[in-house]
Amino acid sequence: MASRTFKQDMPPKGGFGPIEWTKGVPKPKWSGYKQFSVFTGFTLASWAIWYRGELVRRREMLEMREARIAVYPLIEAERHRLYLMHCRKNRDEENELMKNHPGWITGTLYGKRPYHNVRGRFIDQSCESFYAHNKPKDMTDNTDSKFYHDLWK
Amino acid sequence: MSYTNEDYLPSFEELTVPEIQLTSAVLQAGAHQYGKYCDDTNKEFMLCISETKDPRKCLSEGKEVTKCGFEFFGKVKRDCHEEFTKYWKCVDVSGTTMELKGCREFQSIFDNCIKEKLGQDRPPLGYFSKIRVHESKRPKPPPLPHPLPDALPEPPSLDKAPEPNMHPYNPQL
Repeated sequence: MASRTFKQDMPPKGGFGPIEWTKGVPKPKWSGYKQFSVFTGFTLASWAIWYRGELVRRREMLEMREARIAVYPLIEAERHRLYLMHCRKNRDEENELMKNHPGWITGTLYGKRPYHNVRGRFIDQSCESFYAHNKPKDMTDNTDSKFYHDLWK
Repeated sequence: MSYTNEDYLPSFEELTVPEIQLTSAVLQAGAHQYGKYCDDTNKEFMLCISETKDPRKCLSEGKEVTKCGFEFFGKVKRDCHEEFTKYWKCVDVSGTTMELKGCREFQSIFDNCIKEKLGQDRPPLGYFSKIRVHESKRPKPPPLPHPLPDALPEPPSLDKAPEPNMHPYNPQL
């Protein structure tokens, strides 16, 4: 066992350094003005690029909408004929169905009309009335789709 | 239960006309040229519908529209069949909404053919979206008569009303 010499633990030569009591904040690479101007410039440039594309997209949407507008009367004319045909079928069916029922007048509920129609306008009847002689599924199929039976949408 | 037997509903013979049997891609592809070709007919029909709000009264206009559609697509089939077929087949597969932007090359070929054979330009962008004035020969339908119940009798005039009874205890009142 070697002889151990006693060594007193002492401060380094020249003493300890000053105590760091401030918070260590790294220095930014760019100044605040520069950061903000770069951010603004980048945003404006992105907006300009987006807006150029947006104008093109709007033109394309307008073109598609116009295609629909142009064809709309053609489809509407056919749809109105089908609608009236179905109304006619409904009335014939009601005549046939209720012929043995005493006191029943077609188009009325025992003589009382379901719609107040003094001016004799065209009746936009309810969906249930329109599909009265069909299966319930026919109605839900139509009401759930965009080709709704309603005449004026 | 909405129409009595006295109400006018057109018969099946009036409502049955040959309908255009075309798929959506064909209509989408030919829409702009069709709309320009049948502009007056279509506007007449839509004006009738918006004025009367009655499909029964616009049947003849609607039949004209369908007839005009037959005329236009018949001419296209006769004169520009090949160009149009290429175009609508492209439109058919260009996305879920049948966008026209993917088929510009076929579109220009088709438009040139229409210009050559039918002498019609493609309508400029915004043509159908603008408000367009339509001069119609059909007079504007008058508003339907509105029969009202008889007026109630006039109330009796106050001048001829008898004097009310005097106060029973104070005759000066």
